[in-house]
Amino acid sequence: MRYFPFGRAALSILALAVTSGGWLALQPKPKHHATLTYWTFATTHYDSYKKIIPEFERQNPGVTVDLELVSLNALASRMQSAMLADLDVPDLFEVEIGQSAALFRGPTKDIGLVDLGPRLHAPGPDGTPPLWDRVVHARFAPYTNRGHIYGLPHDIHAVQLAYRRDIFEKAGVDVRKIKTWDDFVQVGRKMTIPGKQYMMEMSDSDATVLEPMLFQRGGGYFDADGHVIMDNEIAVQTMCWYVPLVAGPHKIGDSVGYFGQVQTKAVEDGYMLCYICPDWRSKNFENDVSHMKGKMALMPMPLAAPGGNPTTSWGGTMLGFTKHNNHQDLAWKLAMFLYLDKSQLADRYRSTNILPPVKDLWSDPVFHERRAYWSNEKIGDSYIRLAPNVPAHYSNPVIQTATDKLSQALVDCVHYYNTHGYVDHGDAQFESYVRSRMKMRADEVRAMARRDSY
Amino acid sequence: MNTERSVQTGRTALTITMFLLAAIVLTPLVWLVAATLKSSDDMFHYTFFPPVSHLTLSEYHDLFTKSPFARYLANSVFVTSVTVMVQLFFSSLAGFALAKYEFKGKNIIVAIMLATLLLPGQLTMAPLYDLLYHMKMVDSYAGLIVPGAVSVFGIFLFRQSIQQVPDELLQAARIDGCSEFQIYWDIVMPVSRPMIGAFCLISFMGAWNSFLWPQIILHHAELFTLPIGLNQLVSIYQTQYGMLMAGTLLGVLPVVFLFVLLQKEFVAGLTAGAVKG
Amino acid sequence: MSNILATRPAIKAASGTGPRGRRSPSDKFAPYLFVSPFLILFAVFGVWPILHSLILAFYHTNGPKSQVFAGFDNFKFLFADPDFHTAVWNTLVFAFWSVVLQIPFALGLAILLNQRWLRGRTFLRLAFFSPNLLGQVFVGVLFSVLLAPQYGLVNKGLHALIGLPLDTKWLANPALVMPALILTSLWLYVGFNMIYFLAALQAVDKELYEAAMIDGAGPWRQFLAVTLPSIRPVAVFVLVTTTIGSFQLFELPYIMLNNSAGPDNAGLTVVMYLYNNGFVTGNLGYASAVGWTLAIGVLLISLAQMRMTGAWKAEAK
Repeated sequence: MRYFPFGRAALSILALAVTSGGWLALQPKPKHHATLTYWTFATTHYDSYKKIIPEFERQNPGVTVDLELVSLNALASRMQSAMLADLDVPDLFEVEIGQSAALFRGPTKDIGLVDLGPRLHAPGPDGTPPLWDRVVHARFAPYTNRGHIYGLPHDIHAVQLAYRRDIFEKAGVDVRKIKTWDDFVQVGRKMTIPGKQYMMEMSDSDATVLEPMLFQRGGGYFDADGHVIMDNEIAVQTMCWYVPLVAGPHKIGDSVGYFGQVQTKAVEDGYMLCYICPDWRSKNFENDVSHMKGKMALMPMPLAAPGGNPTTSWGGTMLGFTKHNNHQDLAWKLAMFLYLDKSQLADRYRSTNILPPVKDLWSDPVFHERRAYWSNEKIGDSYIRLAPNVPAHYSNPVIQTATDKLSQALVDCVHYYNTHGYVDHGDAQFESYVRSRMKMRADEVRAMARRDSY
Repeated sequence: MNTERSVQTGRTALTITMFLLAAIVLTPLVWLVAATLKSSDDMFHYTFFPPVSHLTLSEYHDLFTKSPFARYLANSVFVTSVTVMVQLFFSSLAGFALAKYEFKGKNIIVAIMLATLLLPGQLTMAPLYDLLYHMKMVDSYAGLIVPGAVSVFGIFLFRQSIQQVPDELLQAARIDGCSEFQIYWDIVMPVSRPMIGAFCLISFMGAWNSFLWPQIILHHAELFTLPIGLNQLVSIYQTQYGMLMAGTLLGVLPVVFLFVLLQKEFVAGLTAGAVKG
Repeated sequence: MSNILATRPAIKAASGTGPRGRRSPSDKFAPYLFVSPFLILFAVFGVWPILHSLILAFYHTNGPKSQVFAGFDNFKFLFADPDFHTAVWNTLVFAFWSVVLQIPFALGLAILLNQRWLRGRTFLRLAFFSPNLLGQVFVGVLFSVLLAPQYGLVNKGLHALIGLPLDTKWLANPALVMPALILTSLWLYVGFNMIYFLAALQAVDKELYEAAMIDGAGPWRQFLAVTLPSIRPVAVFVLVTTTIGSFQLFELPYIMLNNSAGPDNAGLTVVMYLYNNGFVTGNLGYASAVGWTLAIGVLLISLAQMRMTGAWKAEAK
């Protein structure tokens, strides 16, 4: 054993192991024995919380908060495995609306989250009304399961349409005249140049835009009791209306993916003119396509029918509290600080554009500022006006399956439409196909849901 | 004469075809390099490289300042190189025993090993997670290294190559009074170096690119390996392709370096590995 | 290249056994001692989880705590679930095309690279192998951008060359997802398999070719009579590993399709189905049932492949 027998290659790898191990050993140990651990997946939330947590720690001597940014893609699996092993479970965590209900599976007593009902209905400190009365109720829907509320909504995410104001003005289109979707489609047919320019960002293969359209019309995946309703008449009619907009000779929509540099290039090029735009996405535009400043504007969603809902919602974040936590009161206090503290409100709003779900906060002047990016409009005002109308997204642990199945139904229907000579949306044959397909997909969701029933 | 000329023409045509194919294969990599030298805004403005005035290292700068990239890199280097070393030692030791000794149970061991080679690794993820939880290894380097410390593939590889070491060499060492471990360490390993080189590269590439298991077992960002850390940059709300591409390129460099170093051994090792099939 | 010949493992010698002299006690215990670290780790982290997953497969695991014995229910649901059918179909399609494209392509490249008259062989070998250095995750990231509609490099190139529409949606059109995955994987792995074949070709006895030439065999006859039989073990190995690898496909589509199964589940593979059910939905019992079903399927197919290629060998003789 006089020497190292494995040769040059192995020796260099050994050297790597020692060097990197040494470097890692020298790194400061992060504190994971903090009083509270908080997971979030949104970089914007993370940045704004990071700034104000020291203030919370100052106000509560001896309390430390470990804030962690967890990838959205990994969050669901990480929460599942953490709960499973009862290990490294955060005390508070934010999770995306579509992933939240998967945490409500199994017998109620086994659910690892705290039922927030009692806290929500209790009067607030200093005589403020209970939080329940201050928040837009529809936003609790996705986080409610079998009568228990497991999450605090972070947002409302009412939707408007973002559009390339400069292009419309050049073409002489007055967007104020677009009142209904029929008006919109009419303008769209004129503005669309196949392969070059489309009226709206809409996909023929995923339900990202179809879903908010469905909710605008009063449809959805589940009813308040968690039963599958994604094949009801509203859904069928929405689908029949949507398909010819994204397929066939008269399509007015296309999509290149909703995020990333490909999409921002398309925005810049005016490849698509209108975009479904909840408050959070308006920030994405400001950040990712910054040089479109002043060329973009927002308009309310066209109505499906006179007197119909002027908005819908897309996306959402819930804040959950795990049973694992030994400091429930403190966790609640932190949540109230992060969500409600007035001193931080303006800063956070400016960095995220996200309107809080607590109605009495909206009077703050920051929500009524003009935004140069959005052609100097008071975008906060319009989101506030729409906020009370957001539809309730009732949920069920199989919500992920349901979203997938809606996308599949869309693909089915687009395929049928393309291969059957672009049947019109009034066409009974197409309608009956759509009806049967949506029923089939909904039944698949029902089969999945039955396995989880408790 | 004519046939010779046609052979020559055929060869030229084939050579050109090969270089064209190579160009096609390399194009995505050239694009990748170019993408890391453009700002995010320019990414799709220029197909490949932007004009010199638009060249920038800002994506690299962002990568190191806006994400804990250095930490990811160090984690990957550490976990991968330790895994390789541990695998190398255990696999060669067991491969030696299976190649040069007759002992009870040997055939059973080989049969079970063969069977597990055919089972998909994902099969055991769930119970393995459960097991590591009870052993308190979830969310630790050990949770990455220990379950990956044995490589059945590696044992077959070493068994194969060690079988070719002449028995006389071993016997001579025994007569000189070498212990069995000294034979392994002083005789067998030094003559197995080409195989060690090949194994190091294969094992390194495997551990370096490992994604699914770290994705499940790691919770804290300061332990993330490169693939996990980079996937953090992809989100349904935001994707930083420029940083992603810069990270991808930097993430490949260690493997490229190792490959260039070990190319010859690698080819030799692959054939030996193939023989067992 | 000569060192490849030098270290070429003698296939015949592989069956030889080592020294049988049992002179000292240490000699007797040594092999057990040497395999013990491996055996212990293998038993704990390999064999035990495999057995445990067999038990889990018969349980309903709803949420983190609840486990209820369910008999064959997981398997019943699995075989009835249309998503599982999609996953199996996609995986089979992927495996089929991978084998059908990878092996001839890799063999063809290897044969050409083995020709002495070819210039720049070292460069070409490196070029074809280079995608492999990236690995599935990084390749997935890269190709998710390259295949983007309108601005992606692939569409720009194909538009310029053959006039393919710029808005071809490789990763959003269900009909194109599988071709995109198959071609990406071809790009990624063809060089790896090529190296296997190249090494095998260089190990073929040159005298056999000379003998064949004396018999008046042309290049095609030489290929059939000498090359193919000589590289048969390697070809079987490549076939089996490519198949097994294809059945375990996960990272590449998962990353390329932005952590999803793609439009209409067009990129859903069996392992992705397993991952989603086990680690996103949290149903480990069900995931285990999927895992065992996959394992048995892979086992059967690999055995069938080895049998078939064995039979082919008997015929060739």
